[in-house]
Amino acid sequence: MKISEISALISAEELVLIEDMEIEKIEASDMMSDVLAYFEEGTALITSLSSPQVVRTASIVGIPLVIIVKNKPVSEELVKMARENRISLLKTSLSTFETCGILYCKGLKS
Amino acid sequence: MKRLIERIQDLFKDIKVEELMNRNVITITPDKSLLHAKELMRLKRISGIPVVVDNGKLVGIVSIEDIIKALENGYIKDKIEKRMTKDPVVLKLGETLEKIVDKFEKYGFGRFPVVDEDFNLVGIVTKHDILRALLEKLATIHLHDMRKKEILESEVLPDIADRSLLTGEHLNKTKADFIFKIDYNDITLIGVGAAKLKKFLLDRGIPQDIVRRISIATYEAEANVVLHSESDGYIYCFLKDGSIVVRVEDFGKGIENIEIAMKEGYSTAPDEIRDLGFGAGMGLPNMKRFSDKMMIISEKGKGTIVEMNFFLKEESGK
Repeated sequence: MKISEISALISAEELVLIEDMEIEKIEASDMMSDVLAYFEEGTALITSLSSPQVVRTASIVGIPLVIIVKNKPVSEELVKMARENRISLLKTSLSTFETCGILYCKGLKS
Repeated sequence: MKRLIERIQDLFKDIKVEELMNRNVITITPDKSLLHAKELMRLKRISGIPVVVDNGKLVGIVSIEDIIKALENGYIKDKIEKRMTKDPVVLKLGETLEKIVDKFEKYGFGRFPVVDEDFNLVGIVTKHDILRALLEKLATIHLHDMRKKEILESEVLPDIADRSLLTGEHLNKTKADFIFKIDYNDITLIGVGAAKLKKFLLDRGIPQDIVRRISIATYEAEANVVLHSESDGYIYCFLKDGSIVVRVEDFGKGIENIEIAMKEGYSTAPDEIRDLGFGAGMGLPNMKRFSDKMMIISEKGKGTIVEMNFFLKEESGK
């Protein structure tokens, strides 16, 4: 599924869109250590965190897309970091559960 | 020159009998025959046997001279108690090398039994033991001097600080291929060092999967320094033949129990740290998972050193 399709499904704001690439796997976590330990390269991340660590972790693990849920405030700095690290960044008002539910029903798997 | 000799003398003369005696003494009881003693000497290739009674008290000694006399005079089958040298000259615990050497010169014996204050046999000293003790002492002095020289010649660096914890080889941290200072005052900076290291390694053409493992493990180590150590720290990376060594050091409060800290899910992190997505108790386990070898040295109040080794070859299997 393309990032633009994901974005449309969860009514997200596209803060950074590096490339409208295909996403095959997606996971949700708010624990950075879990992301470091279990995320395979190329997996997209759904999280309710909007600290700089989200982008740094994504960059280190090789996560191409981060979706920030519940309309958490996203700083200019974070947007800039995402762009620098070539990570696409979406923001939605939906909760983690709702976001996962919608994308799961549309065939995205972890 | 004279002062040098005096100094060397000082090093040796205070060696105590405990340091040089042989504690595994072959003994015999007084009810056995001299023939028995002779066989024991032949088999064990020794030239004298202390004679002890059952409770361990020294009562005499049989030497090879006693055996020769017995053979010449035809009483080799006599009991030891009848022919042994009673009231042998002994060394007492606490006696120093100076006195021991005096006794060897004065009596000309080949060996002296060592006894405690109750005259129980606790060891034996031969000329061989003295020689061995002197050589050991010399070797220790030499080694000590070599280490001292090494430390004096290196720039800062006491003891383990300049050695690899995993291989023991010399790590000159001032010449590390990559150095990053971790600032613990700003939690939002966690991961900056790992990100820089990642870029550095990729620029050097290190394979991506290894870079990924190194940066994940380093990220965790960096987070630990910022979140837990209450001190600044450093990330050092050394590019070696066949492996990459990452060493993360801090000068902070240390880990009280490494074994517990290694357990998945164990964390001492407060809530505000958990709110940032840390404190899941996965830091050390993740570092272990993503490195090929890992060693931690830490003591409460004395900081923490974590060293991780990543093999460049396929053998890592991770």
